[in-house]
Amino acid sequence: MRKAPVSAAVTRRQLLGGAAALAFPPGAAIAAHGASPLKVVETTLIDAPPDKVWALIADFAHADWLPGVVRVEASGEDVPDQARRKLIMADDVVVEELLTKRGAERMMLGFHREGDDVKTLPATNYTAVITLRPAGGGKTEAEWKARFYRGYPNNDPPPELNDDVAIAAVTALHRANLAALKAKAEEK
Amino acid sequence: MRLALAWMAGTSPAMMGGSLFLANAVLSAPAAADEAFVTAQGADALSIVDLAKMETVATLPIGGKPAGIAVSRDGARAFVTSPEGKFVTIIDAATRSIEKRIPVEGGPLGVAASPDGKRIYVADLYGRRLVEIDLTNGGAQRSVGVGAMASGVAVAPDGKTIVVADRDDNALSFIDAATFARIATIKVGKHPFGVTIDAAGARAYSANVESDDVSVVDLAARKVIATLKCGSRPYTVALAKGRVFVANQHGDSVSVFDAETLAPLETVKVGEYPEGLSVSGDGARLYVANWFSNELWAVDAQTLKVLGKAETGDGPRAFGAFIRATD
Repeated sequence: MRKAPVSAAVTRRQLLGGAAALAFPPGAAIAAHGASPLKVVETTLIDAPPDKVWALIADFAHADWLPGVVRVEASGEDVPDQARRKLIMADDVVVEELLTKRGAERMMLGFHREGDDVKTLPATNYTAVITLRPAGGGKTEAEWKARFYRGYPNNDPPPELNDDVAIAAVTALHRANLAALKAKAEEK
Repeated sequence: MRLALAWMAGTSPAMMGGSLFLANAVLSAPAAADEAFVTAQGADALSIVDLAKMETVATLPIGGKPAGIAVSRDGARAFVTSPEGKFVTIIDAATRSIEKRIPVEGGPLGVAASPDGKRIYVADLYGRRLVEIDLTNGGAQRSVGVGAMASGVAVAPDGKTIVVADRDDNALSFIDAATFARIATIKVGKHPFGVTIDAAGARAYSANVESDDVSVVDLAARKVIATLKCGSRPYTVALAKGRVFVANQHGDSVSVFDAETLAPLETVKVGEYPEGLSVSGDGARLYVANWFSNELWAVDAQTLKVLGKAETGDGPRAFGAFIRATD
């Protein structure tokens, strides 16, 4: 597994601002994505019981604990492949996600980012799966992993939309999201 | 042949019972010596899995983010595409060594071998073309134009027709192998990725990622004769035991249909994010490459019970005919 050396201190806002300055090559959005999906897996230990963390994760329509999110607009029946949420960010960026799976027994939640915008995240066709596992002593291991493609859909990508940039951005996103989940779940 | 060898191994009448027992044990393990050649794209390698042990027994570094795979019908060679490296690697399957690396422009992805193993057909994802590589003629290449984002490739059992999934055109292209000309294009579901042809050469099946269905195509009539609703994000199709198996990426499952009636039979839970599907030489087992969980699963094609799991390199795609029958 390739892991980019990205500081966990990178915030989503910095990430968005940085990526927004990138030039997007004209015509690059013709193909949906290329031939090589990428994978990023991040985990964190949360000092809260799995049930409590799952209640936060499973509530797909109310994920306002995510960093940078001002409010969430949910639509569709609250079941996989129908439930959608729009994450309205402080800087007016809107990220739309579709629920793809919710397994209470295995404590797994999956969603797909709808409508790629490499200015917001320099990656495409992003699908995430969050999995919780009991870690003993009333703690929870939370894993946030994703499958995605680099921002440039063809081969020979420009440096600002290559695999490394996509991996770094997604890694930073996962770390920020897990940190927010941990903070929320550990609130007394 | 296995029975005879086991029988000969018995050196005295007293040993015969033991030999027979051994022979039965060997025979009851279907296609025990088969191997899986699994492209592990994240690991930049090929994981070779011993299917009797369900264990990765060799890892071959490939480079260029290997994705597509085709094992020749005689099991002598394996062909691996590297879309980022722009080459196809020819592997001597028995010695597990790299024989040759052939440059292919664009993004080589789907690959299939002719029945005699003399030619391979490679879909160039970005170049709207199918490339033929003639292995008897120093790897000479010729290409034919197909649709946008050519992905899966399948060859009819008689070797005369090649079918290509033109992903972003929502279509299949038919290529005449002799003239290497595109002879037909038919519309299927949305974003066909994997395409599979049955042993009789009667039908092709395309897994349509974005419409969550499989198009069943009559090859002679070149018509879609049925559409099978499956799980979320179907990627590839395999055929065995008179059944159609479909890997559902988002469903973490395999949909099973009756190939005759096309009725849905069952949905089998597999590992996370299933991609490549292939069956054993005798059709008794289905093998599923699970991209997220880095596993190859073996499933009984009849009972649909999970028989075993093997850990592979990171990001197994196994996109193509990845089973090597060794007997």
